[in-house]
Amino acid sequence: MKRAFHPLTWWSGAIAVSIAVSSAHHSGFNLAVVGGMCLIVYRVNRNAIDQSPWSGGLWFALKIAAIIVLIRTTIGIAIGVPVPGTTLFELPILDLPEWMAGIRIGGAITQERLTFAFAEGLQIATLICIFAAATSLTSPHRLLRQMPIFIYEFGVALVIATSVLPQLVTSAERIRTAQRMRGIQRKGWAGVALPLLEESLARSLDLAAAMDSRGYGYSRNRSCYRRETMLPHDLLVIFSALALIPLSWVVLA
Amino acid sequence: MGGACVITFNNVSLIYPHSLHTVFEDLSFTIEEGEMVLVIGATGSGKSSLLRLINGLVPHHTGGILAGDISVDGISTSLTKPGGLAHLIGIVGQNPAHGFVTDTVEDELVFGMEALNFAPEIMRKRVEEILDLLSLAHLRSRSISTLSGGEQQRVAIGSALVMHPKVLVLDEPTSALDPIAAEEVLSILHRLVHDLGLTVVVSEHKLERVIGFTDRIIAISPDGKADIDIPEEILKKSLIAPPIVHLARALNLDSVGTSVREVRRMTTHLRDYTPLLSQPRQVTGETVVAIEKLNHLYGEKMALREISLDFKAGEITAVMGRNGAGKSTLFKSIVGFHKASGGQVKVLGNDPTELSGRQRLSTIGYIPQEPSDLLIHSSVAKECAASDRDNGLEDGSTFAFLQRVTPKINPDAHPRDLSEGQRLSLVLALILCGAPDVLIMDEPTRGLDYQAKSLLVDTLVSYARNLGKCVLIATHDVELVAEVADRVVFLADGDVVADGTTLDVLLSSPAFAPQVAKVMSPAPWLTVKDALRGIAQISGKDSQE
Repeated sequence: MKRAFHPLTWWSGAIAVSIAVSSAHHSGFNLAVVGGMCLIVYRVNRNAIDQSPWSGGLWFALKIAAIIVLIRTTIGIAIGVPVPGTTLFELPILDLPEWMAGIRIGGAITQERLTFAFAEGLQIATLICIFAAATSLTSPHRLLRQMPIFIYEFGVALVIATSVLPQLVTSAERIRTAQRMRGIQRKGWAGVALPLLEESLARSLDLAAAMDSRGYGYSRNRSCYRRETMLPHDLLVIFSALALIPLSWVVLA
Repeated sequence: MGGACVITFNNVSLIYPHSLHTVFEDLSFTIEEGEMVLVIGATGSGKSSLLRLINGLVPHHTGGILAGDISVDGISTSLTKPGGLAHLIGIVGQNPAHGFVTDTVEDELVFGMEALNFAPEIMRKRVEEILDLLSLAHLRSRSISTLSGGEQQRVAIGSALVMHPKVLVLDEPTSALDPIAAEEVLSILHRLVHDLGLTVVVSEHKLERVIGFTDRIIAISPDGKADIDIPEEILKKSLIAPPIVHLARALNLDSVGTSVREVRRMTTHLRDYTPLLSQPRQVTGETVVAIEKLNHLYGEKMALREISLDFKAGEITAVMGRNGAGKSTLFKSIVGFHKASGGQVKVLGNDPTELSGRQRLSTIGYIPQEPSDLLIHSSVAKECAASDRDNGLEDGSTFAFLQRVTPKINPDAHPRDLSEGQRLSLVLALILCGAPDVLIMDEPTRGLDYQAKSLLVDTLVSYARNLGKCVLIATHDVELVAEVADRVVFLADGDVVADGTTLDVLLSSPAFAPQVAKVMSPAPWLTVKDALRGIAQISGKDSQE
């Protein structure tokens, strides 16, 4: 079996790629990066024997990213200063009170304005996808083990957040189904929130108690069962990601 | 015993913040090395608090005032935080899945050792040792979330044992497990006590599962007092007792036995006769649920294959089988949670996925594994009022129904503050007052004590027999099945492997036979009531001859 990647590999790679994405600020480049991420996550996780609750993170993030692009584009073309250029179509201009001078809702939609708003949305979405891909490839729990012990309180909080969060999604689904089966439809999310809050609080307390009784944070030093070492394939990933930074300057030029 | 004392409670009293009554009052006892001690008590009597006092989670983690002193292996828990006792006490919570900190089995096993800065060589040795001891070796690199309940429980026990603790504390270790997985976990505990001299303190509602392994029992009474003694003494008078003890009492035996073997020896004189075969109840109601060649797929996994079953009005059917056998999937199909991948389900001629509103309420009543999922209001009274509105009943009818089941319930109480048993009664009242034609319950007895369970049995039996409704329950609890069910459907790997009267199905497999049946075998009696009736018939026939 191939050795798994070092927990820091994908995260350092993600940081390098996000630097490249920020400096390039190029829609084509962004789309290529997201496509590449999907391919890597698909390839790597397909070979894993079984999945951690986080491995679906990227697919979830893609949905959120699509919503972000949509919202950013809509707001971008509807509100703000006009950008001169080829007019695609005209929207009626909304009359605003005097104190809101300088803000305009509606007006001419130019191709430039559309491209600009779309590119801005895509930029945010790409950054989200990059880190979601890193999460899909490395469980946050493995990453936490690399953290020094002196951030004990922080560690407990993070472990709880990262363990209870994926659970929340399944619990919410379970509670909603149960209520729908009772015929409670009108309540929507308000009815789910109460049982969900109770359950996640109880679970967080359980987990904190479990960590406490197993001696977490009690000893100043913490040993490591499996010394994680960087292997050639880890370095390959990191260096390819770093190589994207100068490449992004070329694209930008 | 005369061994060294490992755990000492000295005049311990405990009160929680914002509470008016003490949980424990003046508790004093010692537990010796290599003992297996069982803690019993009604729900809410403080079993979990007692267990968590041992490693100081109470009051260090929960708050509350502790008087008196508790020491474990000479270390006082009031002066040491739980983390400082981690090498001495292993604790496994009620739901092990809530206590896992990492993703894979191996990482979970080493978590505690890493935290206490063990040397890597020691860790490697201990991990191998535990993987072998608990037969987890083939699961070592698996992700914990994909393991079955029994496997997860073994991982949780393993990650406590790697620390080589002197004391292992377990809160209801088998409550979520099917009888076979429970047997596996308990026999491991038994071996640890005997081979390694480990001290084990365990709480459990299903006494019949653990009683045979127990050296002593701590019985907590509602007033905060506790008795500690050998099982025979405690069970002589305790209300909380497994079926064989009730049997021994009912038959007026000289002493109560704690194992099937003992009670069998005491009752040889009763088994000399060939017993009459009791006639199972014939159910002749109309078909309420009709399932025809039902298939269900999750991705590529077949969860149900070609299932055809009919459930009649007036019939209580128990659906049994190991975790993952397809019980929940079958129920979800009947409730109409998902469309079938093939075949069809009809509830009184309707497609359950298309039922909604009041028609759904009066046709299907579904109570999920976590009954509290259905509770959304801030008091019992409001919950009942909402149910009156939803079902179109007169004001107060749901509450009246609830009061018939549990007269002592406080209408102003928040549903979350009720005991497990009261909460289930509330949910039952909400569902049953709509008089659905079929009632479906998923694992209703988790966390219920004997008293709450017998209340549930009465409610279900009267609903099915007096109102002629169809009742389906999925459960691991053989004793419950023996008490209520007319028919048992046994699922394995998505197939129906057995379908017949409760008597036939339960007696055909030793793992699923209830305690009374094991004692009375070959006589076909499942419960204390059956046995008494059967014996009376035989002796009646005797005296006629």
